[in-house]
Amino acid sequence: MTVMTKMKGFAAAAGLAATLLTGAASYAVADEVTLTMAVPDWPPTRIMKKFFDEQYKPKSGNTVKLDVDFIPWPDFYTRVNASLTSGEQKYNFIVSDSQWLGAFVEGGYYRKINDLLDADPEFKKTLMNIHPNPLNAYSTYPYKSENYYGFPQFPDVLVNYARKDIICNEEEQKNFQAKYGKKLPCTGEELDAMTWDDFKNVGEFFRRKKGEMLAGAPAEDDFYGIAFQAGKGYDFSSMQINGFIWQMGGNIWDETQAPTGQAEGVVNSPEAVAALEKYLSMLEYMPPVAKTGTMDIFKSDELFREGKVAMNIDWIGLGEASLDPKSSKVSDKLVFGQMPGTMGPDGKIIRWSNIGGQPFVLTTWTTDAQIKEAVEFVKWWLSDDIQHQFAAGGGQSAVKSVYEDPKYVTYRPWNRAWAPQLDWQKDVWHVPQFFELLTQQQDQFDLAITGKQDAKTTLDNIAKFQQEVLKSGGLIQ
Amino acid sequence: MNAPTATASPPPLTRIAPDNWKLAILVGVLVSLVAVLAAPAAVSFWIVGAMAALIAAAFAINAYRRKYYGGLLVAPAIAVLFVMNIFPLLWSLGLSFFAYQSNQQSIRFVGLANYVKVLTSELTATANWLALINTAIFVIFTVAAQMIVGFLLAMLFAKQFPLRKYLLILVLTPMMLSVVASGVFFTYYYDPTFGILSYVVNSLTGEQFVLMSTKLGAVTGIVFADAWMWSPFVMLLVLAGLVSVPKYLYEAAAIDRVSKWRQFWTITFPYIRGLLMLALLFRTIEAFKLADLVILLTKGGNDTMTISYHLIRIANEQNKTSEGAAISYIMLFMVIVLTNLYLYLANRRSQGA
Repeated sequence: MTVMTKMKGFAAAAGLAATLLTGAASYAVADEVTLTMAVPDWPPTRIMKKFFDEQYKPKSGNTVKLDVDFIPWPDFYTRVNASLTSGEQKYNFIVSDSQWLGAFVEGGYYRKINDLLDADPEFKKTLMNIHPNPLNAYSTYPYKSENYYGFPQFPDVLVNYARKDIICNEEEQKNFQAKYGKKLPCTGEELDAMTWDDFKNVGEFFRRKKGEMLAGAPAEDDFYGIAFQAGKGYDFSSMQINGFIWQMGGNIWDETQAPTGQAEGVVNSPEAVAALEKYLSMLEYMPPVAKTGTMDIFKSDELFREGKVAMNIDWIGLGEASLDPKSSKVSDKLVFGQMPGTMGPDGKIIRWSNIGGQPFVLTTWTTDAQIKEAVEFVKWWLSDDIQHQFAAGGGQSAVKSVYEDPKYVTYRPWNRAWAPQLDWQKDVWHVPQFFELLTQQQDQFDLAITGKQDAKTTLDNIAKFQQEVLKSGGLIQ
Repeated sequence: MNAPTATASPPPLTRIAPDNWKLAILVGVLVSLVAVLAAPAAVSFWIVGAMAALIAAAFAINAYRRKYYGGLLVAPAIAVLFVMNIFPLLWSLGLSFFAYQSNQQSIRFVGLANYVKVLTSELTATANWLALINTAIFVIFTVAAQMIVGFLLAMLFAKQFPLRKYLLILVLTPMMLSVVASGVFFTYYYDPTFGILSYVVNSLTGEQFVLMSTKLGAVTGIVFADAWMWSPFVMLLVLAGLVSVPKYLYEAAAIDRVSKWRQFWTITFPYIRGLLMLALLFRTIEAFKLADLVILLTKGGNDTMTISYHLIRIANEQNKTSEGAAISYIMLFMVIVLTNLYLYLANRRSQGA
């Protein structure tokens, strides 16, 4: 290469760089708005991104880009937490578990949206069209206050996954009837009518050793009747235990009662102890991994898809894999019902359950131009048409006009259990101390699950810890 | 005339010159003090940083003018070490004396309160102590297992036998695998429904076997997985020692009809003692920081919480930054004491020999 060509090459490169730079700059003033979003990597968020790219036409005429960071679930909290606390101000939108609201609102990261709601009646109408239980869970801090922060991304509840081929088998039906004097639930409606006692019976009834007869054929492997989450990680036992406690008349520390509401005496009330005992009494009918404290929502789902259990209580969010023959041995044998409940004194089933799913929130450093587009995007996302498409593609919708549509139950087999359960959803604490409370509680529940201590001691320890932490945080007087 | 070059006298304190490092230090310290006291933290941080850079530049120019080229050559390494290593270390040491949470904006000086809290507080100290005890258990058992297995493997591979080369590669594989891969592998290995271990025990005894359901089982499971991964490391070090032993010593010993046992203690062992010590040191420090396998296999359940995992939860999940810093300094202190104890013992032995 001669000096001359070298010079030419350099000049060309510099020219290219210059055009790129000025090009990018002029592009930006021609109203291109980029919204950066942190989301967990799973189908509901992939669908959202796909819909956006294919269908979203901003009303403002600007070019709006949605720049999405897909982060694997196990790292999700750590990555979001690190991004927020480091002050890098990278994301405009963040998918957030509802429990994180308090911690990140107090940190000054999540943006309150009341002013945006007041300024845009249509936006407010869209948000108020969401069922109040998910809205409170996903959007309010303090919980059930009028301060709004988030919008549903993927709302979720616990449902009963069941194996038709096992529970509807005539032989099993007959034997169950003979043993318990009750019909073994088979259809969705019969599953809905189950109480935890029925669930426990199913567990006891379907405990089969390898080679014993199961639904007319020898079992290929040890078989178990029931499963639900009983893992030490994240919230993989609290989310189930809370439901038991609420259904049986107990309560967790109720932040809506702060600062006069107590933890001691409430968290470890006799009702709560009885509820935890009931939860623990079912573990012996579950796959043995439950004894190790590692049966989280993913493990019980895997056991169910591998055909090792008859019924599994799990989030709808994990459902798609069980319908797919590639990842599920039971894909053509499924029936879904509501999570079992507790029979109330009036003969009606009490179904309180801990809500799952995630909202997405706006961050405080989002600029006015971005906020304008963000609001339009959220209105579009929560519009009936898109919510219908989302539900049809494997999502869930908490928008009333959508889930009340008769079409809704036809999208997925579990959708029949969706709307009736929304009335029974509550959420765990939204306070900034949530992670401290959660890890201690999970550790204690794990001790109970693995048989190291009884229900009373467990809840006493939790109550004592919560009382002290919340007292020093000023949330209990 | 060579006086003004190599041995030029340093400039007096008062002269303003780029190589006057004494003046640079004085100015740097004064300006930093004023900045810290007067300016908000976000501003003073950068002023102090600029002053540090100024002093460093004065040193560099001084070294250049006086031809201390050796010093100049290591300067980049020292700069990187300072920015990436020493500064964060000192910063976190500083943080451990404040009440600070990374998700809150307030910060307040509390002296030694964090240390007192993590060691004595009724609410939190128990968990710390339990985690420390568990860590000690893991250090003792994983290191012992690795040393014994690694040593025996090295003795085996020091000899020539058919297929040795291929077997050696096979034995080294666990060390090359990522911890996550090994962790997932072992969760399935120990799984009571899908795992081969429970399957084998079950078919032998006819009873259900759940390894990870007791503390003993969980500790065994983690120790086994850790030993599986890191014994090859010990083996590699010991093997390096073994092959360095001159053959003629063994030949001489054979002529003298020295027993195999004495050959080992008088010829082999002195050659590998230093490397064994090194392996012991490395593995102890690593075992002290054990968290990955615990997270993957038990999530700290069955009383297998280690101090390192506990620290991750406190500092990264609960955002209790300064409390976490206090715990990590206590850990650092312990590791330093432990390693120095090792080194002291090793030196005493070698002097005595």
